[in-house]
Amino acid sequence: MDYFVNVTITGLTQGIIYSAFALALVLIWRSTRIVNFAQGSMAAATTFIALALIQAGQSYWVALVVALVSGFVLGALVERVIIRPVEGGPELNAVIVTLGLFVAIQALIAIIFGSSFQSFPTPFGVRGFQVGGSTIPLTPTSLYVIGSVLITMALLVALFRFTRVGLAMRASAFSQEVARLLGVKVGGMLTLGWGLAAVVGSLSGLLIAGGGFVYPAYMDSLIVFGFVAAIIGGLDSPVGAIVGGLILGLALSYVNGYVERGSALVSVAALVILIVVLLVRPGGLFSSTTARRA
Amino acid sequence: MTAIAAATVASTLAACGGGDDGSSSSAEGGGENEASDIGVTEDSIKLGAHYPLTGVAAPGYSEIPTGVQAYFDCLNKEGGVYGRDIEFIFKDDAYNPSQTSQVTNELVLEEEIFAMMSGLGTPTHSAVVDFLNDEGVPDLFVSSGSLLWGENPEEYPMSFGWQTDYLSEGKIIGEYIANEFPDAKVGLFLQDDDFGQDGEEGIRQYLDDQIVAAERYVPGNTNVGPQIAALQAAGADFVVGFNVPSYTALSQLTALQLGYDPQWFYSNVGSDPNLVGGLLNRFSEGKVSDAALLDGALTTGYLPTVDMTDNPWIQEFSRIWDECGGEGELSNYRVYGMSQAYTMTQALQAAGQNPTREGLVEAVEAVGAEWEGPVFAPFRYSEDSHLGTSGMTIERIVGNGSEEVQPVRTTDIGDAPIEEFDKEPATPPANGIPDEEAYEG
Repeated sequence: MDYFVNVTITGLTQGIIYSAFALALVLIWRSTRIVNFAQGSMAAATTFIALALIQAGQSYWVALVVALVSGFVLGALVERVIIRPVEGGPELNAVIVTLGLFVAIQALIAIIFGSSFQSFPTPFGVRGFQVGGSTIPLTPTSLYVIGSVLITMALLVALFRFTRVGLAMRASAFSQEVARLLGVKVGGMLTLGWGLAAVVGSLSGLLIAGGGFVYPAYMDSLIVFGFVAAIIGGLDSPVGAIVGGLILGLALSYVNGYVERGSALVSVAALVILIVVLLVRPGGLFSSTTARRA
Repeated sequence: MTAIAAATVASTLAACGGGDDGSSSSAEGGGENEASDIGVTEDSIKLGAHYPLTGVAAPGYSEIPTGVQAYFDCLNKEGGVYGRDIEFIFKDDAYNPSQTSQVTNELVLEEEIFAMMSGLGTPTHSAVVDFLNDEGVPDLFVSSGSLLWGENPEEYPMSFGWQTDYLSEGKIIGEYIANEFPDAKVGLFLQDDDFGQDGEEGIRQYLDDQIVAAERYVPGNTNVGPQIAALQAAGADFVVGFNVPSYTALSQLTALQLGYDPQWFYSNVGSDPNLVGGLLNRFSEGKVSDAALLDGALTTGYLPTVDMTDNPWIQEFSRIWDECGGEGELSNYRVYGMSQAYTMTQALQAAGQNPTREGLVEAVEAVGAEWEGPVFAPFRYSEDSHLGTSGMTIERIVGNGSEEVQPVRTTDIGDAPIEEFDKEPATPPANGIPDEEAYEG
């Protein structure tokens, strides 16, 4: 029983991390209709900026703010300078460009910050809470992660549902021509979308890194799991991203914990889950429309 | 069948390299230096290696080549081997077997190295061991305790292990626990490959009935929560880890989350307290102090470590690092690299004035078991075994150092008994440079 509880909690805390990353993907999808493969290395880049500040003696919170701001700048820059020229062409072009960016940014991080494996601090403890006589693998750090992700999700939902900017962003993403005709500054909205997505991505990068190890490729496995989580959730829904991440985290934790040699099967299991979800509900579990294409 | 083919290729290549100078007579002392084989010129010998300089296995391991380089630089200042400078070329494979193949191809075909030395890692080196043997390239002192390099010289005639193999290490650990902790409920935390399997096999020879759980992780999957939770659930109060250093840190961190506090025993590979402590200490801005976590854990040793400042080898290696090393402090990984370079120097000296690839391998087989050096116990090199040293101490980690709790014991693979090793430790020669006679065959 204890073991089940432990594996479940581990799954949920891992899952919320996948959710965080999936949220960033959903955000960029909603605001630009592009799947951004470079999200992971962009997040890694800002995490390394934060780490450099922390190593220079700044507090975690200063580093967090700087990382988020630099995330916004990086996202906006990438959109303006690199994505803008290929926007409006075939959708595939932009996606392939993000793939190239993914590799390029990762290499840049290695050049600037070195490629060694380093630990990343967390402002909260990493010891599990005591419940009854036993310790559960829920730490102050995991509460911080869960809280941050849920707040971010709520803010995003509010942004898209209740604000004019959110509406304008959705409109620009959905149909640039129509949005422009209605007086939306599409270019600005796309830049804003990329900037915001990069902020959420940066946050997820920092949350994932906290109390763990970072190196230039540390986001790689999370990119895969984050994508699967986003797709399970329908790629369009912030709530779906959270639920998708949690489902995936739990499923992978059970595979890891209960299947013989499960540790080796985790990646396979993630893809099997993805295939099953896509076969049963091609639009993902939380898709609002079946064939929504710009 | 493949072994015969490989041997044929090897001898053909050796003949090509040394054919024009009547190499059989050139091993005599006092002659001229000749370009006796591929990678050997009158004044240099080219050696190659692959290491993870980047990626998940890089912490620690990437320091090994800096140790090798420092040793060879100092050696070259003193005249090298038979007046030849050692040129050491190492490349990054990021612990990725496909990159190991690529860089090894470059080393063998483009750089035209004389021999490979110290190629690091079981999965990585497995990818190139066939190629090296087919090409007839001596593959000395692989940096991995897998049995693969040494167990069957007929299959891999050019390959040699160096450090204690994981099976022998497992046996020595198993015997120690059975003697000293007869009531412990032992859990195993294993890397899911040869490393973990060999270690487990060795431990089970002595401890089978005490083992309550064996959990495996796959490198790359950084969530070891379920494995550690399973060890806890099985009631293990003594955990033996056959894992790499980053997983020592991960297992400690996960145990902390679970409030799980068994007696830990990490095999030699995963136990460097400086490295693991360095990884752990910033997790929570000092809320978890680094040294405290590994303090009291047990591990094994087959080489002196930097905290043993009284050890003459460490003093000698410190001098070499100060004079010929690069940035940073002497670390256990650099000591490891220097020790390998020391053995390599012995091998090159034994191969004679005008070495050939075949002659080098013959020399290691013939006289390698007699070499003394920083390693605690002798190598097992012979025509029938290419396994390296087998002796290990058991040590307890205290702060960033360790104290011996059981002196060196030696064994071999299979059901060979474990024996006490009572020879006096060797002391370093002048300038830390060995002086082996050429093996005449």
